[in-house]
Amino acid sequence: MLRYLALRLARAAFTIVLVVTFAFIVLRLSGDPALIIMSPEAPEEAIQAFRHAWGLDQPIWIQYLDYFGAIAQGNLGVSFRDGRPALQLVAERIPSTLLLTIPALLLKICVGIPAGIHAALHRNSLTDRLVMAAAVAGFTVPSFVLGLLLVLLFAVQLGWLPSGGQESWRSMILPVITLGFGGAGVLARFTRSAMLEVLGQPYIRTALAKGVPWQRVVRGHALPNAAIPTVTIIGFMVGSLIAGAVVVESVFSWPGVGRLLVVSVSNRDLAVVQCILLLVASTMVISNLIVDLLYGVLDPRLRAGASGGH
Amino acid sequence: MKLTRRTLLATTLLPRVAIAQADQRPSVTVAVQKIANTGVLEPLREQSSNVSERWVASILETPIARNQQGKLERVPGIASAWRRISPTTVELSLRPDVRFHNGDVLTAEDVAFSYGAHMFAANLPADIPQIAKRHFPALERVEIVDARTVRIVNKTPDLTLEGRLSAGGREIVSQRSWMERGDWAANAKSPCGTGPYRLNRFKPDSELVLDSHDMYWGGRPKLKSVRFVEVPEVASRIAGLRAGEFDFACDIPPDQIGEIERVPGLKVQGGLVTNHRIVVFDKNHPVLANPKIRLAMAHAVDCQAIVDSLWAGRARVPAGLQFDFYGDMLVKGWTVPAYDPALARALLREANYQGGEIIYRARNNYYTAETATAQILVEFWRAVGLNIRLEVKENWPQVLDKAGPRGVRDWSNSAVFDDPVSSLVNQHGPNGAQQTNGEWSNAEMNTLSVELESGTDPARRQEVFARMLQICEREDPAYIVLHQNAVFTGHKASLPWTQPPSFFMDFHGAWGA
Repeated sequence: MLRYLALRLARAAFTIVLVVTFAFIVLRLSGDPALIIMSPEAPEEAIQAFRHAWGLDQPIWIQYLDYFGAIAQGNLGVSFRDGRPALQLVAERIPSTLLLTIPALLLKICVGIPAGIHAALHRNSLTDRLVMAAAVAGFTVPSFVLGLLLVLLFAVQLGWLPSGGQESWRSMILPVITLGFGGAGVLARFTRSAMLEVLGQPYIRTALAKGVPWQRVVRGHALPNAAIPTVTIIGFMVGSLIAGAVVVESVFSWPGVGRLLVVSVSNRDLAVVQCILLLVASTMVISNLIVDLLYGVLDPRLRAGASGGH
Repeated sequence: MKLTRRTLLATTLLPRVAIAQADQRPSVTVAVQKIANTGVLEPLREQSSNVSERWVASILETPIARNQQGKLERVPGIASAWRRISPTTVELSLRPDVRFHNGDVLTAEDVAFSYGAHMFAANLPADIPQIAKRHFPALERVEIVDARTVRIVNKTPDLTLEGRLSAGGREIVSQRSWMERGDWAANAKSPCGTGPYRLNRFKPDSELVLDSHDMYWGGRPKLKSVRFVEVPEVASRIAGLRAGEFDFACDIPPDQIGEIERVPGLKVQGGLVTNHRIVVFDKNHPVLANPKIRLAMAHAVDCQAIVDSLWAGRARVPAGLQFDFYGDMLVKGWTVPAYDPALARALLREANYQGGEIIYRARNNYYTAETATAQILVEFWRAVGLNIRLEVKENWPQVLDKAGPRGVRDWSNSAVFDDPVSSLVNQHGPNGAQQTNGEWSNAEMNTLSVELESGTDPARRQEVFARMLQICEREDPAYIVLHQNAVFTGHKASLPWTQPPSFFMDFHGAWGA
């Protein structure tokens, strides 16, 4: 088990290094931050001075080594635009984003999973059709469109909720629904498929033939076995908690990490973008690691396989 | 003390009632696409940013103001008067009653500091003194005559000094406040000026709240506070305006004006601003080296069609790269090259154009209707036989990238003060971005730029400017002027506000005017 964990951790670290390296190279090759921040009208001397002050006049490989050297010392760099440490800027925005993404995740789980189970248990019924239609709508309607539709209905027409900003708890409702609706649809579909697959397995027929009550079959045999694909999807959703609301934050003018990422990418505020990517990659990798470990808990066969048993 | 009903009322309830009665002024919320491009409230770092022009003058003021209710002509500001001492020197008489947001009275020391250490000190970020140098290219010193009189002394004659003193980037800050805050970074987020509104709070990329500066020399501001909120999506800004959450929604594209005006209680104001949309040439491109081909491209474009179709006639085709507020310097009778496809084809024949490809780089709606404008331009050029390839880029470095042949690119030019030096020289002269980017140069233009900057004979300066237009727009085209830009603001119709002919959202002079 320890070897398994060590291997996973090594892979996770390698993934993070790859992500950050890729972002480092792409961001530097796709636009000079000095020209972006200061505009092409700025005097050439000012642009040169800016480049020199931030080490942008160094060869890219030296910048790369400096960057990783700084990370090793816990320094994620300083924002070109703001002048403050990138980590501080990102940390300030994380609570705002989590205010949206955590309730949205709960909404996805609380709506998506029961809906998927219900649809599977009532296959081809009217409710199954309705749930699946809503699920398909959920993940096919872009969050940009859904967000604006909700704003038009609840803010403009009915005047019940604010159209954006972060004024009070009421400001959270529309963005959370926008974020949650699509994810709930995805979870409902995956849960339904997994449940249908499990319900067709011979051990379910065996349990029923032995006279086990239907409710117990569902709870004791079908649900745990159908949980693996659902847990995988939830793992991805947990992994995107920090930067999974980029579009929704823009539509609702929500001052979270997603907005910071958009502004920082367009301004090539390299330290901030890299800091966010590092956090997102770490969250995703850790969440996947936890999911992998959960597989072992949910399915003893996987645990036995990982420890070399038969 | 014996507590009576009278003392209770006097100590608790009545003062609150009095305060409430004293300040019945409204507050407004303004939804903007962007508050500050660089994330700070510092005009030097925010140079050439149209977005910060909306609020800068509410916080910080230049010695000489502009008439935002007129034609942006120079009017007394915190300097009640100014006079020319010599071709190199302007003397400012400061108002006695100007107070900074920290309560200090403005003195000549503050002006000297603002144009001295505040711009040129060694401990500033490296780009700041360089930008300041462009604002005051030949500033020699600031001479304090007395507490309310100060002289701006240039090394060379400069008839544009008064204009420069009215332009963005020349604002006066409180010396004491600046020194107390200690460094540039702290001051850049918390400026202390003399404007009608003082900073309450600023959250970069999110919110800027200004409160009334009740000791403002121009009278108590008419609003209690002004809150700018950043709403990047235009649909969200319009939705917030319709829902009544915003009093103003800025950066409304022309095609959305009708949508807003159909809503009862809302209206859209807007008009021309001192900014022209242009496309500029890189004459190092093998095809564009021939000026006839560049001129042919200018004659191939029907600018009025762009104004009519994309701007609903609310923009206009200007008289070349000049602005109405140039006054006597305006070259009367000058026009952009006429739309004449036959002439364009003839010029291409004369130039022996063989169909070589010309790359046209644009950005994705960085300017209003930029992509649609670019597509229209491409069709105009193709219609006369030019081989154009449109490349849409993400940012300026990609647009200006020297790798790959640069041909034509999008740009806009502002006039920051009322003289051609502010536009034609600043942007296309020897130190202008088009030349420093290595796209275009012309020896005569460069000589004339120096003469225009330092010339003192108004008649000769006008001749020089006319000749420069002839070079840049006919003989050796540097750019094509497409149209004058316009900005549109949606707001509650009940609000007594008039949009100035600039990007500035004046909530003092323009409120109730």
